[in-house]
Amino acid sequence: MMKFIKKNKFLILLVLMLIIISIIDITLTYKAFANTWDQVLSMLMIVPPIFVLIGLFDVWVDRETVIKLMGNNSGIKGMALAFFLGAFSAGPTLAAFPLALIMLKKGAKYSNVLFFLMVWSSLKLPIVFYQITTIGFKFSMVINLTMLIVFVLGALLSEKLFKKEELEILQEKAINYSK
Amino acid sequence: MSIEAYILYAITALLLLISFIIDKEKTKKGLIKGAKSFIKLMPVLLPLFLFIGILLAIVTPEFISSVLGPESGLLGYLSGLVIGSITFMPPFVAYPLGVELLANGAAYPQVAGFLVALMSVGLVYYSAESKLFSKKSAILRNLISFIGAIIVILVVLVVY
Repeated sequence: MMKFIKKNKFLILLVLMLIIISIIDITLTYKAFANTWDQVLSMLMIVPPIFVLIGLFDVWVDRETVIKLMGNNSGIKGMALAFFLGAFSAGPTLAAFPLALIMLKKGAKYSNVLFFLMVWSSLKLPIVFYQITTIGFKFSMVINLTMLIVFVLGALLSEKLFKKEELEILQEKAINYSK
Repeated sequence: MSIEAYILYAITALLLLISFIIDKEKTKKGLIKGAKSFIKLMPVLLPLFLFIGILLAIVTPEFISSVLGPESGLLGYLSGLVIGSITFMPPFVAYPLGVELLANGAAYPQVAGFLVALMSVGLVYYSAESKLFSKKSAILRNLISFIGAIIVILVVLVVY
């Protein structure tokens, strides 16, 4: 029982939330389910090409290439590549997770993968496009340049924060994920 | 579907075709691998979608407009950061909302902090992210992004 609770903390929390909002206003619950369904549908629309790409990446790109381009000794080039992969993308951050896992599996450096995730989350082209057309060019650039600097520093810092064993565990998880 | 989704489909279809022409077997293997990683991700994703569904029912754009009003100052910035961090919103909803907030009298730094936190900090993803990577990795990514949002507020304060 304890084990079940521990393993499904998140799910139990969600059920509690549902019960609470049902008591407050049952229409909120209906709305929540309708939203959830919308989320599932929109994911089913955007996700198939991403997983096809992951599969192709897995069979065509070998480990040596990834290690050379984004591995431990890839330096600034590896970071630049992580930036471009993150920027030229589409889809929610969630869609980036499996891509990040396959990069880790193939031997990309953790800090580059983290950088890729952060760039994807807030500096990808579709976002920049929405930014410029709504809040204007100057406001967008102030925000994006600041975030880019923060992300670069954050990624560099992450190299210092993770021990070798922790990075090995991360990579092992990634390898197990797409076995 | 949005334009970028169509582009993604087009590029994928092209690559798939090339791959298929070069090596049929390898392509098949790749597709199976892709499908497998999709199936593996599903149990992590479904509760996440339920969470986003509940969140979207409670935290509507109207709700955010009512909270992020003209009151700026420390409390205004903080509420922008916090709401942005816990909420989920696609960019085509978020940025028009940002414009609306500005029109309603919210301050630039406040809106900037809200938008940056909204895009980069993904507390909704925390459960999935810590399962797929690690707790430390998930916390680190969100923390870097949150600090980034604070720095953006400071920079915008100086610039505007």
